[in-house]
Amino acid sequence: MTYGDGEGGSQRRGSQRGSNDFAYALARMAVAQICEGVEISTLQDSHSREGARFSSFQESALERLTDVVIQYIQSVGKTTQFYANMAGRGEGNALDVVQALEDLGAGLGFNGAHDVERCLGDSGVVKDIVRYTGEAEEVPFVYSLPRFPFKKGKRRAPSFSGIGGEMADEHIPVWLPAFPETKSKEVEETNTEKVGEVKSKENGLSLPSMQQSLDVDRLKVQKSMEQEDVQEPGEEPEGNPFLAAPVWVREKDVPRVFCPSEPKNEEDSIGHVPEKQKNIPPLEAHAPPGMINDESRLGGTEDGQKTQRALLRFKIGTRKASMCWTIKQSLEDKETRGRRRWNAKRNSKPLTQM
Amino acid sequence: MNHGQQSGEAKHEDDAVLTEFLGSLMDYTPTIPDDLVEHYLAKSGFQCPDVRLIRLVAVATQKFVADVASDALQHCKARPAPVVKDKKQQKDKRLILTMEDLSKALREVSASSGGFDPHLSIYGVNVKHPEYFADSP
Repeated sequence: MTYGDGEGGSQRRGSQRGSNDFAYALARMAVAQICEGVEISTLQDSHSREGARFSSFQESALERLTDVVIQYIQSVGKTTQFYANMAGRGEGNALDVVQALEDLGAGLGFNGAHDVERCLGDSGVVKDIVRYTGEAEEVPFVYSLPRFPFKKGKRRAPSFSGIGGEMADEHIPVWLPAFPETKSKEVEETNTEKVGEVKSKENGLSLPSMQQSLDVDRLKVQKSMEQEDVQEPGEEPEGNPFLAAPVWVREKDVPRVFCPSEPKNEEDSIGHVPEKQKNIPPLEAHAPPGMINDESRLGGTEDGQKTQRALLRFKIGTRKASMCWTIKQSLEDKETRGRRRWNAKRNSKPLTQM
Repeated sequence: MNHGQQSGEAKHEDDAVLTEFLGSLMDYTPTIPDDLVEHYLAKSGFQCPDVRLIRLVAVATQKFVADVASDALQHCKARPAPVVKDKKQQKDKRLILTMEDLSKALREVSASSGGFDPHLSIYGVNVKHPEYFADSP
């Protein structure tokens, strides 16, 4: 296990610690405890045997040892998995572990390493470990660990069969998790009447129903859409903003764009605009046909709810066209004064106001 | 065939050591907590549902640490004590796990085992702290 770049120990530890602070601290404590229990018996002049132990440690030395221990564990795991995979197994075996420990030497060699045909069960490594457990005193870890690492219990969504509903669509198997419930279902009880209205008008097409949502309360239509979703899962998701119809604004909120040099003509023209409602300009001819049909529907059904919204007509065109439009109006008004002013300005400033 | 049978029996006997040990592992609680070992094993790719294997690794690791620590302790003890001529001074020396002793012990470990290389070539080359810093005059 070598790192590709020989970066400094502090850097490596920083990266190692950053994500594993908790694990590192635990490992450090465990290593310290083990070192504490290491004893060398020395035979003194007196008959009693004294055991020399570590009384303290250098901080950096302990950190180094902890790093080594962590790498040891990881290399054991890696080698074990390697041997398991070599044997064609997915999970490691006890013998894989023993073989990995043999690979790592488990210290200064072990008995029986020279024997090629040895049995892993009889490995010297195992015997060494057995001997160690027999000799060393058992020192349990100091702290009681919380469940580590923390696993948040994932509450799996119940399947369709768990909910108990049979799906109308056959292409969705019942063992799949069910669709999540939406908030609008809570409002379902209060607006059942309006939902019924909306649903009755739907032609079965999704587009008109969505266009109606602007005139009706948007929430109700969303609910109806969601109800459709429950019955026919697999259609468009609930409240998809990209499928919603564009917002239509009342015309009086939006001032008409004119050049500032024609104040009087503007007033007259704005006054004339509402009268021209029924003349649908070519721009609106591109609107979906359903929209125009809805216009008549709007007047018929939405009596008391909202006033009819005038359609916004965008003046898209060259300046020349608008000028022609205003000229036409002034001619219709038959005001000579306006006509004169307009003609005068037009002659004085040809095409500079663009 | 006899040889085969014998080897088969021998294998059973040999396995007995391992199986017995694995059985006794549940009585012995290693110092390194199981969760910690499991975490690091999983990090390197070895996920095992068997607790005994995890304890086996934990015990092996503990033995490894104990070996290294004992080597370091021997080095520490072997170093000549600072001579202070004082009659009242006790002979008890406070043994401290120093970087120097640790590096010597680890160097032995890394030299003997080919597979495990406690990285950081620091153990091979630049282990010692600089003993002094030379300032510019």
